[in-house]
Amino acid sequence: MPESNKLRQLKELLLHEDRDEIALLQAKIKTLESILEKQEQLASRIDPIIDKKLAQYTKDIPEKLGPTITESLKNEIANSKDAVVDALFPIIGKMIKKYIQQEFKILSDKINAQLQKSFSLKNWTRKFKSKVSGIDEENLIIQELAKTEIHEIFIIEKNSGILIANFSKAKTIDKDVISAMLTAIKSFVEDAFKTGNDSLELIEYGLYNIHIQNFNSYYFAVVAHGVFDSAYKGKLEYELLNFAEKHLAKGPKKNISIKLAEFFNNDDL
Amino acid sequence: MTTSKKIVLLGHFGVGKTSIIRKFVTNEFSSDYKVTIGVHILKKEMPVTNGEDVSLIIWDLEGTDNIDLINKAYLLGTHCFIYVYDISRPLTFSNLEENVLKLKEKFPKTLLKTVANKIDLIDDVNDEKYKDTLQKTDYTSSAKTGENIADLFDSITKALVI
Repeated sequence: MPESNKLRQLKELLLHEDRDEIALLQAKIKTLESILEKQEQLASRIDPIIDKKLAQYTKDIPEKLGPTITESLKNEIANSKDAVVDALFPIIGKMIKKYIQQEFKILSDKINAQLQKSFSLKNWTRKFKSKVSGIDEENLIIQELAKTEIHEIFIIEKNSGILIANFSKAKTIDKDVISAMLTAIKSFVEDAFKTGNDSLELIEYGLYNIHIQNFNSYYFAVVAHGVFDSAYKGKLEYELLNFAEKHLAKGPKKNISIKLAEFFNNDDL
Repeated sequence: MTTSKKIVLLGHFGVGKTSIIRKFVTNEFSSDYKVTIGVHILKKEMPVTNGEDVSLIIWDLEGTDNIDLINKAYLLGTHCFIYVYDISRPLTFSNLEENVLKLKEKFPKTLLKTVANKIDLIDDVNDEKYKDTLQKTDYTSSAKTGENIADLFDSITKALVI
């Protein structure tokens, strides 16, 4: 065998493994080149990683950036109050306008519905009432729609705040605690302003009014919804006086709550 | 048939009035101190042996060292006063006798119980330094461990319905 062949054989024996590795590496480089060259293939591999990172970043925003953003917004608003008011004013104005329009539409629909029932007895009665009193029929309908409704009545012992009797159209959280708390509020107001013998007579919240009528050892607290004008107040006071005279003059009786329900479970107060 | 009784808790700030009520009504205790402003009212129904239930309407008044400063209307019509002090803070029972006397003078017909709360904070109840005060006290209690809380309200309920 010639010397050159021997040398080649020896090379092949010694460098066989290295050659295989180089071939493998070359194949891998070619694959990578083709991936890098083809955008779609590259995207399919990188996109899931970016998506995962983005999702984590979005999740972390409230915690990491939230306080900074809130603080910046606070500062911005504090420094440019007029600009904020100017920006919000038209939006709030539009919202209020829309709400009022909607409420008027509902009211108008109700009035129309009432007028369309032209053959009902109630309608004829109203027409008659309108002619006699001189009040427009529409105004009478509005009065009917805005009618005051009694939701609850409490008779409460003045000193202790303990509930004597209760009439309720709906389930309340705890009548006893409400009675005690009303008494505490009443006592607080009466004591805080030290106006002699004056007492708390009305609490207003939203469309509700709590009318308070005092007697010697107890008081009435009436929760009413709707228009609570002086005419209605006068009528209610009269009815409460009547009830007190009939059922409480000789001290509260055991069936006082039933009597209270009978007396006031009537929408035409 | 349920009758209602008004119970009023009074005493200095931070003696554990609210904690006693919470332990009794909801069986909860928290060591976080939240000062009571004005009045807080809770209710607990207590069964009585004759078949009738008694509703205890419990008024938790804000703490004060001078009971003359309490809104009089809060005290009117009360069936039982519970005067609470903190056994680990002598200042809270420094005017115990004076306040108890005032309550007895103004409301002679109303039941009154004195309670030494936070008994879990002292090592020895028989220590001489507590002897005099504890002799004038109806109950020792711990809102934290619940010691004597139920007994206190049980005995009051019984005394009120008899």
